[in-house]
Amino acid sequence: MSVIMSEEIEEIPLAASETSYNDIERNDIFNREFMPHINSMYNFAFRLTMDEDDANDLVQDTYLKAFRFISSFERGTNAKAWLFRILKNSFINDYRKRSKEPSKVDYQEVETTYNSEEAAEVDHTTDLRVETVQDMIGDEVATALNSLPVDFRTVIILCDIEGFTYEEMAKILDIPIGTVRSRLHRARNLLKDKLRAYASSMGYDTNED
Amino acid sequence: MVLDMHSSAPASENTKYQKEYCEQHAACLKKIQAVLDGEASEEEKAHFRDNIDHCMHCIKMYHLEKCVKETLQAKVDKRICPDNLVATIKAKLNLIF
Repeated sequence: MSVIMSEEIEEIPLAASETSYNDIERNDIFNREFMPHINSMYNFAFRLTMDEDDANDLVQDTYLKAFRFISSFERGTNAKAWLFRILKNSFINDYRKRSKEPSKVDYQEVETTYNSEEAAEVDHTTDLRVETVQDMIGDEVATALNSLPVDFRTVIILCDIEGFTYEEMAKILDIPIGTVRSRLHRARNLLKDKLRAYASSMGYDTNED
Repeated sequence: MVLDMHSSAPASENTKYQKEYCEQHAACLKKIQAVLDGEASEEEKAHFRDNIDHCMHCIKMYHLEKCVKETLQAKVDKRICPDNLVATIKAKLNLIF
């Protein structure tokens, strides 16, 4: 059984040392370093939960936790990655259990895909055209993205939509950089499969000349 | 280098690519993704530069990966946090904003 996201995990990233901030400093950090990321946080929450109410609750919970444990945040460091990690962990601990996506199915699918080297070796180039992808509208691409198991969806969101580095993603997801790379590789192959299947079903030309 | 990285097609019609199919396509694809993500090592960059000049398969993979990445960035709707959620968080924390 994979241990990926399968146990209750520590939600607040551990700091090397805690900092005691006064009220003015806490408010200042919250306003200047945390709040500017709220739209990215909401977008991430929505893409994880795929539900507006759940996204609202998840973002609210994350910001309340961030303020409560603000002493674990070192001023001037990467606030966005720190907040994303709390949100991701809150999602695993509090929301995924009651998510509309049954988590057991996710684990099985992730494990199957991780363990299938053949799946990673499939050539995705010859049957999906650049022009086909360019012709797709945003909702079609979003539907393909949303159909991925959440662990794969997450790495694509973090890398391609939010622009995090591999190192930042490793910290947010609490996995080695090598796992970030391989998970991203497989996530993108899965996404291309979904795009190709969708394009084919809609009558797009998916074959190379 | 013969490829215009900002174009969706090979730079020159006269270019003679030595390879139509890449036997190492899975390994090359990982390197291409690292390059596009700005995360490639020097060894991966060198491999990319060497291959992209003569492997049509790698060129196609490069353009498809680039296109999918750009499509995700540009076309997938980015949800904006509702104003009332910001207000609720502020109220719960009773902060001076």
